[in-house]
Amino acid sequence: MEVIGKPVNEKNIDSIAERIFHESIRILGGLRNLVEYRNLTWLPSLAEAAYVIALKNESIKTNREIAEYLGITEQTVKNILSADDNRVMEYLKGEAKEKEHIAGGLAKLAYKAIKEHRDNLEERIEAMEEGAKSLGIDWAVHVLSSIKGLSFPVRKEELLERLRGYKIKGKDMESILNNLSYPINSPAELLHAIRESIKD
Amino acid sequence: MAMEEYVFELQELKNKAPKIFGIPTGTKLDEMFYAVNYDEKQDKFIKKPLGGIPYLSVMNITGIPDTGKSLLVEQFAVYQAARNYPVLFVTVESPAHFLYTSLKQKAQVLGLDFEKVEENVIVIDASQNAELRENMNSLLDTMAYAIKKKNTKNVVIDSVTGLYEHREVLARQIVRQLFNFLKKWNQTALLVSQKRSSQSSETAEAAGGLAVAHIVDGTVVMDKEIISSKWSASLYHKKIGEVVRTIRIDGCRLVPHSSDTYIFEITDTGLIDIKEPLSKIAGGD
Repeated sequence: MEVIGKPVNEKNIDSIAERIFHESIRILGGLRNLVEYRNLTWLPSLAEAAYVIALKNESIKTNREIAEYLGITEQTVKNILSADDNRVMEYLKGEAKEKEHIAGGLAKLAYKAIKEHRDNLEERIEAMEEGAKSLGIDWAVHVLSSIKGLSFPVRKEELLERLRGYKIKGKDMESILNNLSYPINSPAELLHAIRESIKD
Repeated sequence: MAMEEYVFELQELKNKAPKIFGIPTGTKLDEMFYAVNYDEKQDKFIKKPLGGIPYLSVMNITGIPDTGKSLLVEQFAVYQAARNYPVLFVTVESPAHFLYTSLKQKAQVLGLDFEKVEENVIVIDASQNAELRENMNSLLDTMAYAIKKKNTKNVVIDSVTGLYEHREVLARQIVRQLFNFLKKWNQTALLVSQKRSSQSSETAEAAGGLAVAHIVDGTVVMDKEIISSKWSASLYHKKIGEVVRTIRIDGCRLVPHSSDTYIFEITDTGLIDIKEPLSKIAGGD
């Protein structure tokens, strides 16, 4: 029994389309590979195809609605949706020309990979987290994710409730928060104030 | 500006008109709706049980708490899913994992294949997500996604009251949006709505006033009464302290229906078991 616990809406569509786009580039061997093969000209078609595939599968719009939404023709939508996944590799080898079909096929392949969790999203998030850690800014990610949902301006007590127990560069969050002036008006102001406080 | 696409010659609607037949609920409610067909041989109209709620109807199931509304719609969902007709179940009250247990138990008691039920039911858990409850566009987009994904034929929403419980002035607008959406997507639907304790069981009124009843195709009212006087005990042939449960169809604009009030029981295993019309069993002078 499949359970849907979150809304499927246009905000999700944006992020799914972006994931399809990035995954498509990954399938092609990365952006550098595209530059080398001088294939960058069809990236706009790929972006278009990513949206068509996301809208068709996730928001269930008709072809006409998708065409109106994206400002393209209904025929382009049909071409993308009827594209053959197998022709992607043919195109890359230079055996096929029509970019709309190829972009559609590629976006379909990418969407399948995302649905089957083959896009390694978790690994990439982990890599980003590692990167943040090596730059010494992982605390900012932690602070931002912990204060999600808080309405600003905030008081010390509200922040303490969310951040108690966490340490930045060996300093307790309690003592860091004690040094800040309140109220704090925005997440950006909070990050700035923490950064200043841990400088010494 | 004239909107020609909304103006029809009557004959243009011939092919769009839905066929009238019943979508079984697995209860005796199926016999309470009728089809009336003209029999040329006998030269008269013949009334036959429809065998379910009318195809493509959007029905309101209303009643005060503990009258069996959720049990009825769950029974409908399980019965349809086991017959390979996919169902979208929007749960607004009970979290999805509780619903799972309840549907599983019903399938077992009814002797239905739960694997088929699992395969054919898709659930939107609005009980745990405020955006799905508060933002109709989000809910409708998500329902469209689920309907298309599973190619569902039936929709259950338990309950629509949960979508406007703290803003009852919006009830009419919310139910109208849902109604139009369900019609657009060709779904047969049961919408549960809750009566306030002050709302009389003689009407289809529920929280939000008569909004739900006025907009949807028909209403089924479920009720209960605790036997507390000798008069009631004699009327219902029950003992003082027992509960008598009733169910009746309070209007349906698509097909004729019984106007009797029926007695029903909730079995120990949580099934709705509709018995005789009250008129047949009632005693008293």
